[in-house]
Amino acid sequence: MKGTIKDTYLPSGAEIIDIMKMTDNIKLFTIKPQRPFPYKPGEFIMLSLWGKGEVPISITSTYGFHKYLELCIRRVGYITEAIHMLRPSDEIGIRGPFGNSFPVEEARGKDIIFVAGGLGIAPLRPLIHMVMNDKKQFKRVALVSGSCTPSDILFKDDINTWQKKGMQVFLTCDKKDMDWDGNIGLVTDYLKTPKISFKNAFAFLCGPPVMIDITMKNLHGMGVSENRIFTSLEAHMKCGVGKCGHCYIDGKYICTEGPILSYAEIKDRRLYKH
Amino acid sequence: MKNVLILNKNYLSYWLRQLRKTMTLIAPLRSVHGDVIMKTVENIHEIELDCPALIPSPKEFLFPHKEDMFRFSVGATDILKDDTKRLIFGVRSCDMSAIAMLDKFFGEQFIDDYYMSRRRNAVFISIVCNNPETTCFCIGLGTGPSLKSNFDIQLTDLGDRYMVETASNRGAPLIKKYIYLFSKPKKSDYEDQYEIILSSASKFEKRINLENARQKILEERISDLFWEWVAKKCFECGGCVYECPLCTCFNVLDKVESENQGVRLRVWDACIFKGFTRMAGNVWPSEKKGSRIKQWYFHKLIYYPEHFGKFGCVGCGRCTITCPGHIDMATIAHKIDIGDRRNR
Repeated sequence: MKGTIKDTYLPSGAEIIDIMKMTDNIKLFTIKPQRPFPYKPGEFIMLSLWGKGEVPISITSTYGFHKYLELCIRRVGYITEAIHMLRPSDEIGIRGPFGNSFPVEEARGKDIIFVAGGLGIAPLRPLIHMVMNDKKQFKRVALVSGSCTPSDILFKDDINTWQKKGMQVFLTCDKKDMDWDGNIGLVTDYLKTPKISFKNAFAFLCGPPVMIDITMKNLHGMGVSENRIFTSLEAHMKCGVGKCGHCYIDGKYICTEGPILSYAEIKDRRLYKH
Repeated sequence: MKNVLILNKNYLSYWLRQLRKTMTLIAPLRSVHGDVIMKTVENIHEIELDCPALIPSPKEFLFPHKEDMFRFSVGATDILKDDTKRLIFGVRSCDMSAIAMLDKFFGEQFIDDYYMSRRRNAVFISIVCNNPETTCFCIGLGTGPSLKSNFDIQLTDLGDRYMVETASNRGAPLIKKYIYLFSKPKKSDYEDQYEIILSSASKFEKRINLENARQKILEERISDLFWEWVAKKCFECGGCVYECPLCTCFNVLDKVESENQGVRLRVWDACIFKGFTRMAGNVWPSEKKGSRIKQWYFHKLIYYPEHFGKFGCVGCGRCTITCPGHIDMATIAHKIDIGDRRNR
């Protein structure tokens, strides 16, 4: 029965426009929501497949690109497995956008360092794009991005464009490869390489939990203020609106009070440790 | 707003019979096995009037164990909504306080429409506890045995009559229509009520000070070893969570009934279950049992007061009755407070 029930839990429709295979298990989906869908960098949506369930997915599309949404999805579980089976013109459901966004306004006039580990570049992409399009407002900007192998490097075209616009880019891979003559190692090994003033910098990072943990600690040790290091956390979520309790860890609903949290907010808490 | 009247006990069944014509009447009934359960009433004279302790908490009428949310088929989605009018009679004060907290929780920021739809259509009649159980400790939390606010209709058993108080817009119409059954309270009625509440308060055996426990945790005097010791006794049955009138975690599942058709439903979930926080890709924030137990206690003792200004416990004592490992709220809060760690 329709009536007083509002649409907190009701997904609205969206059509898959395009699917691009990025690596063996990562695909980039371009979807067209049926309703206007304004969002800010850092927010996420609940992607819904009737008969399978819902998963939180961060919005990857560059800011100001409202007609279509891009979602970068790794095939890793039950629902993402089903999403990877979909074809263009298939219908999916979306709810949102939920969560808070990166506090990019505060970073104006400062140096910025982005640190991404693997798929962690996905939630950072709208933010980096926004910063690079408005480069005059910021000082030096650097990106340190790590991947498993050279073929796992995501958004290579975007990275090239950003580099042309004046971004310092440091790519690194865990393993050596025949056609890779770049850096080898973890992102944490290359944190010091960018030529920026860490004391006046803002840091935005995303990646696997262990990487986030170490990177935040190291950046803080290098002089970045703990209120200026931000990460995007992931958690098991069922509702996205602070009710189901799955993402409620250490007194914070990651879905409503996160996913963007500063080092100051999480350093003493056991949010993402194992 | 608050309105006080007197109802002769002989009129109670007539009043309920009239009210039942427009709403489903739910009240405590004794089952053949001797347990008292909240159920839809068929014979009004079978209602247990002495305010017994109920193991399933009345949250199930607002936030049921299993609730269908949507029915989906090809190209169509139906929102399933429960708007049954319910009159829930014989709820204890502690449960009523819990419902007031749930109203806040489900009604803030993003409104939970399923809960609110049920809540809008439900009226609760609570009864002041004359005989608290040995497991009860609401007296230390201000959530019982009687309430000053946060109830729809409250009855106090004064022997041959009830004192009837109304404190909400939901409760008032139920009395207004049958005002001829009620009389104005005399001074002696107030005196009798005062005496009843006083004698009830004296009957509490447990005095649990959650504030002391909270302070000790905030001062970081409780180490993780303590929580690991608690976890050793935990069976992970989820009984405390399911019976708690304030636990609200749920899981959302899709049940496929036939091809391209099915139901999206939500069921109660428990933060002390192992897979509660596990993500695809095996990222597992609280894999350890100790950290899950700690989460449950911290939610109720630390996070609830931070957010709502009240403890996430109303002292109903259900976890004391349910927990097979004897690590319920009363026991653990007392242990933290007194500092009894000799048995570790």
